Formats: sequence, C-alpha cells, structure tokens
Amino acid sequence: MNQEDTSSPRTVSGDPSSLYGMMDPGLRSAGVTASGFRLDVRRGDGSSIELKPEPIKDGQRLTVPPGSQATLIEKNESLRPEPYTTQSKWEIVLSEGTKLNHYKLVHEGPQATHHSFLEVEVRRAASFQSHVFLFEGAQIRNTIHVRMAGEDAECLLEGLYVGSGSRVIENHTLIDHQKPRGTSRELYKGILDGRSRGLFDGLIIVQKEAQKTDSAQTNKNLLLSAEAKAVSNPELKIFAHDVKCRHGSTIGQIDAAQLFYLRSRGVPQAEARRLLIYAFASEMIEQVEIPALRDILFPCLNLATYIRK
Amino acid sequence: MLDIKNLEASVGDKQILHGITLKVNQGEVHAIMGPNGSGKSTLANVLAGREGYTVTGGTVLYDGKNLLDRTPEDRAAEGLFLAFQYPVEIPGVSNTYFMKTALNAVRKHQGKPELDAMDFLKVIKEKAKLVEIPETMLSRGVNEGFSGGEKKRNEILQMAILEPRLCLLDETDSGLDIDALQIVARGINALRRPDRAFIVVTHYQRLLNYVQPDFVHVLSGGRIVKSGGKELALELEKKGYGWLEQEKIGSR
Repeated sequence: MNQEDTSSPRTVSGDPSSLYGMMDPGLRSAGVTASGFRLDVRRGDGSSIELKPEPIKDGQRLTVPPGSQATLIEKNESLRPEPYTTQSKWEIVLSEGTKLNHYKLVHEGPQATHHSFLEVEVRRAASFQSHVFLFEGAQIRNTIHVRMAGEDAECLLEGLYVGSGSRVIENHTLIDHQKPRGTSRELYKGILDGRSRGLFDGLIIVQKEAQKTDSAQTNKNLLLSAEAKAVSNPELKIFAHDVKCRHGSTIGQIDAAQLFYLRSRGVPQAEARRLLIYAFASEMIEQVEIPALRDILFPCLNLATYIRK
Repeated sequence: MLDIKNLEASVGDKQILHGITLKVNQGEVHAIMGPNGSGKSTLANVLAGREGYTVTGGTVLYDGKNLLDRTPEDRAAEGLFLAFQYPVEIPGVSNTYFMKTALNAVRKHQGKPELDAMDFLKVIKEKAKLVEIPETMLSRGVNEGFSGGEKKRNEILQMAILEPRLCLLDETDSGLDIDALQIVARGINALRRPDRAFIVVTHYQRLLNYVQPDFVHVLSGGRIVKSGGKELALELEKKGYGWLEQEKIGSR
C-alpha cells in the first residue's frame, strides 16, 4: 500500500478493499492517509471490464460503455494540519441504458480547502446515482451538474454534510431535464454545529421538451448550536407543462419531545442527542449498497458528530 | 417510597397543580382519576422531570431523597418510569437499539454489568411476548408507523425491560380498543410485584376493571378532592365527576 500523502486523486488497483483499508483507524493514527478513487465496471453478466478514466486538466473523464454498470468510489482524505487545497474534477458520460453509482467521501485536514466538480451527462434510459459525504475540512465546495440528455433518464443525488467549528460547506447542484420522462430525486441533509455554515443551492430545470418529468428535491438541516447557520435555496425552473415536480427544505433543531422520551428511559442527555443526530443521518448511509463502505461511513459520522467542544 | 407534599406546579404562567399531597408505598397501585384539565398528566410529567413544567411549591421525596432536582435520566436510572400518553415516533433509531442503550445506561447506573447484543436480544424477545409484540416491530424505528395500540403496548414492553420500581402510567388506556386494553392490562398485572408501585392516571374506570387499584384519588382543579378504595372508581363511573364539584362547593 502506498503510504505517501497525495493531494491529487490517483487510481488504486488490486483488492477492492485496499481503498477502504486506508481508512483503517490504526493506519490513520500512524499518520497514513491517502486520497484516490476506485472504478469498477462490469458487463450485464457480472464480468469485469478493464477501464481507465482519461486524464484531463485537473481531473478525469469517463464514459460508461454501453451494456455496463459502474461503481466509482472517490475519497479525499488527509490528516495534514496545515492549510492546503485539493480538488477533484470529473466529466462523466453515461451511455444509453448504463448505470453509475458514484460515492464521494471528503475527510480532509482541519485547515484544508476542497473543491469538487462533477459534470454528468445521462443519456437515454441511463441511471446515475451520486452519494456525497462531506465530513471534515475547513472549506468544502461540492458542485454537481447533471444533464438529463436522453429520454427516460434517471438521477439520484444524495448528500450528507457535517459542519463543526468554523467549517464552511457549500453544495451547488443542478439537474437539467432536457428530454421527456426523466426522473430525478435529490436529498441533501446537513448537520451543523459550532459556528459552521452549510449552504444548499439546488436548481432543477425542466426544459420545454422534457414533458412527463418527475422530480423531487429535498434539503433538511439539523442545527446543533445557536451559532451554526444553514442556508437553503431550492429552486425549480419549469418550462414544460406536463410535469410532476416538488421541492422542500427544513431547518430545525433536535426535537425536545424525542430528547425527553429517550432521557425518560435512562439514556443520558449527551447520548440521547447523539442517537437523534445519528437517526437524522443514518438513512443516508443505509442507502449505500457496499457494506464495506457503510462500515467506514458510520464511524466517520460518529467521529464528525461526537467531537464537540 | 414516594412522598408528595403540597406540590404546586405551573406550565408557562398558568398554575395547574394547587397543592397535591400523596404517599405511595411499595407494592401499592394508586389510580388517579379526574376530568380533563384537572392536572393528572401534569402530575405525571412533573414526576418524570419534563422540561416546561415548573415546580412552584411543595416537595417530592423518592426513597427519602429529593426527586425534583434530578435529571430525567437519573430518575429513570433510580427506577422511575413514565408510560407516555402520546409516545413519540423516532424514525432512524430501532426499538431494539434504543432499549439496549436505555437498559445498559440504567444497569450502569445501578452498578450492574452491561448486556451484550446477544444477551439483550434474549431479554427483549421474552418480554415482547408479554405484550404480544411481534419481532418485526422490534427492528423498526421507535414507534415508527405504530398504531395507537401498538405504541401503548410498546410502552409496557419498555417498562417490562427496564424493570422500574415506580411506574407512572399516563392515560395508557386512552385510544385503546378492548383487545389492546386487555393486552396492556395483562402486561401491567404481570409486572405487579410486592416491591413495585404503580400510579395509574386515567380518565375512565374501564382500565381499573382489569388492573385493580388499592387506592383511588380524584383530582380536580389541581387538587385531590377525594380519596378512597376501588369502589370510588365505580361510583365515579356511575355518577360522573360533577357531583364531586358540587360536594366541594357545598363543603366550603
């Protein structure tokens, strides 16, 4: 395993668990960190396709080949204490009828800035899923643009962002429905503690040609301190007339009735709060289809929400 | 075990309890009845330590010690249990995980070793039979999507698991059909022990057909206006609460 700290993404080959292995707490405490991605492409019969993304300026370009399903796991992790900047950039095309699951985990150093840009074209009857987990770093900007460029395209965007200290997290997402009968679902959840700031800026466009579009967008925020701030800007621009679109956002605090219920059963207040934060976030992680990745995300969530001043 | 003296309490700036005095010994079952708005639920919530209820006078001793300055979790760990009138739903926290966390917190407080997941599973499965809760409900979120009756049965399940010494049941019979009422009552009766006391808050007498009280108290206008044996509940069922109001006025 490569033990040097790299700030630009690189491919990890071999055993699929090798990327997860780098998150091992033992390795982390030894200062071993790394960032990278792992791409797994398979044909309909489950056989593996050897495919490397094409390097472009500051990032990678990937075309999911016809007749395949792909999983892309991307991780940006470092424990470096000093200020630094990392970025990741992907241009992805999903060919007709293909499927891509993208997972992204940001776990950068306490003074780090991370910028992520993902541009996706979803062609006819293709299905794109994005699961973003933003846990650590000083400034994180997550930008996702999805062009629903073919009929019957599907898209799911999910994000969980956790702010503490003075972290600033921005999410800018755009789903552009260009063709008929597209389906998009978007759910972003923020947990904001300390003096952190969380922004959700989500735009859904339904073009004139994109009749029968079915779209739902939700942003929910849980504020854990009086100084934390959430800003939510869900926005719909609809130019077609026969569509089903809905959006909503909430910003709230821990529910007093739920907290009392747990405490009245003997669960200490701090533990009860942790349970309720976990309850808010866990559905995002339970969606993850890769058990080994779920096993990493739960401790990350605990770490990100447990360490309080 | 519980000694309430001249307890006064308010919610917001409205005083609800105007001096309650009540003594509960081990093994006793006390029913607290009364019309809506008489302060029954306020009494239960004050005893459990709910925020928003301010004690403005009087004392409550539990095992000879002041109960009112303790946190809700401390009261639970010391063996006090409130079965809620309206149990909340907590999606995302499974019933089993919640109860394991609660039981281990209580056991830790009592200096007992914590149970691991396997041992706890045995406990919860056994207790679930008592209130006829199927195992599939145990893995669901706390009260998530439960019917009214299922929520009340889940309260009794929690009580059975935590094995408290003082059980407060706040309108546990409300909203139950006769089958659910019987299941709940059987659960309560199975938990009756010489060292465990119950305070059963109820509007109607029907639960008391199944759970026989030793004492019945009538709460009206934030005071106990009459106390008696279980025959008092039957009298109330026949006459309603109006005659007590009359009697109170007449005695002034």
